[in-house]
Amino acid sequence: MPVCSNCRGKTFVRDDVTENLSCSTCGKLQEYDNYVHQYGGVSGPTGTFVSVGTTGSGNVYSYKETKVYEALKFIESMSLRLGLSTAEADAVKAMAREVTVGEYGQGNWFNIFVGACAYVAMRRDNKSLPIAEVVSVIGGTDVYELGRMIMRIVNFLDLKKPEFPEFDIVNLFERTLRNSYSFEGIEGDKRERMRKQGIFLLNCAKKWFLTTGRRPLPMVAAVLALVAELNGVGVRIEDLAKEIHAVVHTCKLRYRELLEALVKVAQALPWGKDVTVKNVIKNAPFVIQYMERKLMSEPSGKKDLVGGICLDLGDVREYLRNDSGYASDFCFEDDFDTEMDKLKLSHESRYFEVEDGGCKLGVEEMDALKLSHECLSMIYSKFSDEVDNVKSSKGFEEVRGTKKRRGFALHACAEWWNGQSEMSKRLLLKEILEKDVGLDAIPPSFVNGCVAVKRRKEKINAAKQRIDRIMCPSNARSGDSSDICISEEVHTRKKRKRGRGIDWEDLIIETLLLHKVKEEEIEKGWYSVLLELYVFNSGVVIPQSETLSK
Amino acid sequence: MGDQGGLEESQPVDLSIHPSGIVPTLQNIVSTVNLDCKLDLKQIALQARNAEYNPKRFAAVIMRIREPKTTALIFASGKMVCTGAKSEQQSKLAARKYARIIQKLGFNAKFKDFKIQNIVGSCDVKFPIRLEGLAYSHGAFSSYEPELFPGLIYRMKQPKIVLLIFVSGKIVITGAKVRDDTYKAFENIYPVLTEFRKVQQWCALPSLHNSPHTKKKA
Repeated sequence: MPVCSNCRGKTFVRDDVTENLSCSTCGKLQEYDNYVHQYGGVSGPTGTFVSVGTTGSGNVYSYKETKVYEALKFIESMSLRLGLSTAEADAVKAMAREVTVGEYGQGNWFNIFVGACAYVAMRRDNKSLPIAEVVSVIGGTDVYELGRMIMRIVNFLDLKKPEFPEFDIVNLFERTLRNSYSFEGIEGDKRERMRKQGIFLLNCAKKWFLTTGRRPLPMVAAVLALVAELNGVGVRIEDLAKEIHAVVHTCKLRYRELLEALVKVAQALPWGKDVTVKNVIKNAPFVIQYMERKLMSEPSGKKDLVGGICLDLGDVREYLRNDSGYASDFCFEDDFDTEMDKLKLSHESRYFEVEDGGCKLGVEEMDALKLSHECLSMIYSKFSDEVDNVKSSKGFEEVRGTKKRRGFALHACAEWWNGQSEMSKRLLLKEILEKDVGLDAIPPSFVNGCVAVKRRKEKINAAKQRIDRIMCPSNARSGDSSDICISEEVHTRKKRKRGRGIDWEDLIIETLLLHKVKEEEIEKGWYSVLLELYVFNSGVVIPQSETLSK
Repeated sequence: MGDQGGLEESQPVDLSIHPSGIVPTLQNIVSTVNLDCKLDLKQIALQARNAEYNPKRFAAVIMRIREPKTTALIFASGKMVCTGAKSEQQSKLAARKYARIIQKLGFNAKFKDFKIQNIVGSCDVKFPIRLEGLAYSHGAFSSYEPELFPGLIYRMKQPKIVLLIFVSGKIVITGAKVRDDTYKAFENIYPVLTEFRKVQQWCALPSLHNSPHTKKKA
């Protein structure tokens, strides 16, 4: 029996219009009147049961309808957060419907599923949407879990190469440059130049194996950072990495690898030996210009690189000698000015030596000289243009002084960028590989492998000598003991030296050699396998021929 | 300490079996055996020194021995998985040792249905590989997703083996039940890899040791 919350009265009146229940004694409107006293017994009046979710006369939404409704709502919100267009969102919905046979779903897995559908749908249309970004939007999962779902969807839909293209790093770069808040407010020309430079560098990175087997995001961050620096846009690689959900350390690593590759290209320049990772940014205009011209030149017409200018190296030398300040402005280390002055005085600069010593060079060096000639001609033409401009305006000496004061400003001389080469465009891998950019690099992981094998070889040789010295002391006495020290020198920086420079690796190699393990096997570095098979072999090693014949 | 280590020393690679001249090294053998008796895992964990058992985490006793250096997963049903051996013989020997340990703990363990379930091998072809090109031309068998995994996953149909191919030229071969399948899979893939090898410029290698960042100002 309901009781009035105000006066404890037990009689109520229901308003005909509002259906609200109020106390007949005090008139208090009763707040909770969901429960109406059943009167009249079983034959009394019956009401209509009303609950949330009904559409009226007793039609209750089914579980499936609710699920589908919620799922579609979720897909829409997810598409919005991922920045997908309506058409793209529709594609995601269609894919989700197809994969789940119209059932959609709910629960935590469905978030991952929708993220995976968004990724696959975008990639199917050759649009860029990195997995890391999807993960950051859906939350509560990691790249690998989402990756597993993506692969399941791809397998279910049986998407193969043409209709499911490989991840396009150039697309990703363009998208990031377009959408990143770090590059907001950059005018159109500069943005376009940055875009072309970025594509150029990414194509080079592909050619140099810097993208193969690596996550694309850090490389995009590295290229963006480099391009930003070249164009005077103040962006930190840390901020870029954070924005595109890449690991900062990896981004920096890729950035360094890119710089190292540019340093290798720069070796073709006359001052190439002076170019290091620290100063390659300052030389990047020349390096990129060199690569561009190399790309655009016909293989047979190398000498006509600079618009058919026939250059006398003597002229370049004269210009450089007359105004070595030019060289100091466009070079290299921060404290190079003072060094250059010293070099000026002594006339020992290698920039002069290159030409002077030309007649003394061998065949190989002549090839290098040819490249130097091209580069020098470029510098010469650029320099002569600049000199003309300067002389016509303020006077040469005056500007020279100004230049020295303000230091080097890359973005101030954007004309170094031509942007006409094919590498500034989207290319197929095959086309990229056919181009010559002045460097044909090998993968860093392969290089590391070669270095490791070389180190192990040296360790094996040193171990053999140590064993010989112990087994045949008479021979060791006559031999040169300096060779044994090789192993002490080949220790890497990371290795902790112990005693006479012999570490655990040396001891394992010695043990394996004593057990007559082949050197080629030891060079591979799989010590645990060799130890198990040859040292702690439990007497079960069976000759290879016997095993194979089974 | 065995003294038969030198057995393979004088044996050159059989080019009829390994035309590439490269023999994959077996890195791991996984085998299973049925001990054919119900086991009280808690009792095993309490009695054996080399065992660990955390039923909340994993419903099996993890037991290790040092020779051959292997790890076994022992289930209450009496089934056992032995991993970490470097050869089939070692795997069988290790499984026998585990069975013997279980016997000594008072269970009526037998040694039924020993079977090698997986063999993992690896090798180095010593040249870089253009994974993009391989993925493109062998799209039906390959999966190359650098966002997820740095290697190319090649699912060979015959023999039914999975190969992980890396840009550095390192290869991992897995999924074989007999070592011949491992060798055969590698010999099948080797000519394909040579198609996508990067033509090396060995003259460039010496300069690698003079990494640009180590250069000093002239």
